[in-house]
Amino acid sequence: MATKSNYGWLQGRTVRKGGHASSNSHTRSNTPQVQSTSTTIFGGGIKDPSGRTSEYFSMDDQCPVCKSDRYLNPKLRLLVSSCYHKMCESCIDRLFTLGPASCPNCDKILRKLAFSPQTFEDLGVEKEVAVRRRIAKEFNKRLEDFDDLRSYNDYLEEVEDIAFNLINNIDIPATEERIAAYKAANAALTSLNLQREEAEALALKEQEDLERREREARAAQLAQQEQQEREERQREERELIDKLETSQKDAHKIVAKSRIAAAKRSSARAASSSANSSLLGMSFGMDYAKLLKTRTTKVNNVPDEPHVPFLDDYYAYDDLYTVRAEGYDDIISEAVRRDREGIMRAGGYKVEEAWNRALLTAVAGLDAAPLSGLDEPNSLGDVDVVMESV
Amino acid sequence: MDAVERENQDRQKRWAKEQKVGEGAYAVVYRGREFSTGRRVAIKKIKVGQFKDGLDMSAIREVKYLRELKHQNVIELLDVFSNKTNLNLVLEFLDSDLEMIIKDRSLVFLPADIKSWMAMTFRGLEFCHRNFILHRDLKPNNLLIASDGQLKIADFGLARDFADPGFKMTCQVITRWYRPPELLFGSRYYSSAVDIWSLGCIFAELMLRTPYLAGESDMDQLKTIFRALGTPTEQEWPGHTKLPDYVPVGQFPKTPLRDLFTAASADTLNLLSKCLLYEPRKRLSASEALHHPYFFAIPHPTHPSKLPKCTTQMAPRPLGEVDGNVDMVGSGPGVKAAAPNKGRLKRKITSPLDDPKTRSIARKLDFTKHVKSP
Repeated sequence: MATKSNYGWLQGRTVRKGGHASSNSHTRSNTPQVQSTSTTIFGGGIKDPSGRTSEYFSMDDQCPVCKSDRYLNPKLRLLVSSCYHKMCESCIDRLFTLGPASCPNCDKILRKLAFSPQTFEDLGVEKEVAVRRRIAKEFNKRLEDFDDLRSYNDYLEEVEDIAFNLINNIDIPATEERIAAYKAANAALTSLNLQREEAEALALKEQEDLERREREARAAQLAQQEQQEREERQREERELIDKLETSQKDAHKIVAKSRIAAAKRSSARAASSSANSSLLGMSFGMDYAKLLKTRTTKVNNVPDEPHVPFLDDYYAYDDLYTVRAEGYDDIISEAVRRDREGIMRAGGYKVEEAWNRALLTAVAGLDAAPLSGLDEPNSLGDVDVVMESV
Repeated sequence: MDAVERENQDRQKRWAKEQKVGEGAYAVVYRGREFSTGRRVAIKKIKVGQFKDGLDMSAIREVKYLRELKHQNVIELLDVFSNKTNLNLVLEFLDSDLEMIIKDRSLVFLPADIKSWMAMTFRGLEFCHRNFILHRDLKPNNLLIASDGQLKIADFGLARDFADPGFKMTCQVITRWYRPPELLFGSRYYSSAVDIWSLGCIFAELMLRTPYLAGESDMDQLKTIFRALGTPTEQEWPGHTKLPDYVPVGQFPKTPLRDLFTAASADTLNLLSKCLLYEPRKRLSASEALHHPYFFAIPHPTHPSKLPKCTTQMAPRPLGEVDGNVDMVGSGPGVKAAAPNKGRLKRKITSPLDDPKTRSIARKLDFTKHVKSP
């Protein structure tokens, strides 16, 4: 970025977007913006978050007064008067150095100090922004300053009305009177709200500062950790080489030993870093709680119950039989039990399941009540035994 | 009129058939109502007369097993009756399936929601296994969601009971993405562990909101699994190299599950890893899973009535799209021996959020071969 002062008499730092360092700006085809931190005589313009005022700038700029354009004067800078007419710096110097004079376009009396840089291409927007900024400074009541929403809305309506009048030059004297009247009536409240705003801005800034410091601290810690690790690794390597040089033991063993030690250290590091990251988990938990809350407010409020493995009154009949741990010597499963190839085992076939099934079916229902005891016939017909649950 | 016919007519009178919901080559599904209570049901009419080989296998399986099972987390077969040459199955009416919910991007899943769905699925599966039935086609779109939020396992078209020792079973079961490695290696002797693998995949899918192990072919499926979980060693899975269709797929390193499931708790990953163990005999059983610390940990599973529900309404399915292999045009890779059933037809409506890219891939995968399972 060039910090070359194109506007020497302004002492302002000029920053050009897009890395255009050259001052022969007439080679540019588009309409780039010049940003200036001009805090000198011109107060207007719109400041971006970094505090710079971005200025509107185009190749077609021409001073309406002296007709000088950017081709003839690459350093041409147009400023806007309080009556929203543009003229170049040299014209301003020429016309207003000797004191207030009338605007060459509209005869309004202007001063040199009342010119401001232009941010927007459309001067209408420029004016609206300036007017609204002025209005906002005076009319800064808040919702909590009113008894009800209705009166607050009425107030907003009135503010909007005044802003509209000023922007469109309707009834200017009357409007100014209204503003003055309001100012007189609400001076105390306005200044109070101003203080409040400042306090809030300060708090916000402090919060941001705190976060930034935290981030920096974390980054520094991480960097330090890395540095430590690197040093440790280097030291290990040196040690290993020394040992290999001096020791009589088998070289393989020494290498293996040092590797194990290194693995241990790295796992210890991982553990400590995971402890650090638990902070992160906490914030995630909070998010989760919030999500949960929105969900529960949305739908009915049946409480979630702890998990119960089986909800049916399931009786496994396992008190009626036991499967022999050593298995059974039955002919049917002989091939499976031997399983020379091991393919049944690999496929996951469990002969125990078959034994279990055989035993269970043998004993199940031994003490069941007779079917005739059922009150109503099952929908599938009362001849079928239905394995029922729940 | 003999007694059987009279009984049959009595049953038929209990159910009112309303509009058609979908049609397949061998079955038509109607929405229906029970006359006495006004309860909504789905009636699946199976056309019998048109088939040389008689009734379709999956219809027989469905009737055979659903008749025996009644559980909160298993779809209920309310009645069966015949009508001229047709067989009619009356099933519980369920609004949506887990696949629709997973694909509905407007829904946010909390860890507690996933816990609740998994608990219900494991309960349903445990009930099947308790009664010695293997489901063999578990996938999100076979897990239906009732209006009260209860999850129900449906589609028993590929189910069978545990094989007796030494009896072979087909390995061409379970939709590819949810198929365990032992089936991909062609094992003909397997156990309830195959269903647990599928649940592991579903569990992962609930967390990722996209299929976890989506292979494009059977070979690619193995590769995908090994890429995700590392190539099994002889120690991890003894004897797997002897399986009939074993082929070395390549060596892939083990990557910790934590890398992919960054937000999951340690309990969650522990349960997931135990469902996705290579050695089938070491895989958790459904009842062990239900006793896993994951389910007891905070947060408690969400009450079913509070679970996220599908926002997209089910539109009547365009009939032109329905054919005998409804399963195959679905968004997932088809199971080869599958045939349409009521639940599937009803669920086939793909949500508008369905990614057309994945769909077209999925379509490409199927129709490879059509192997009948025993």
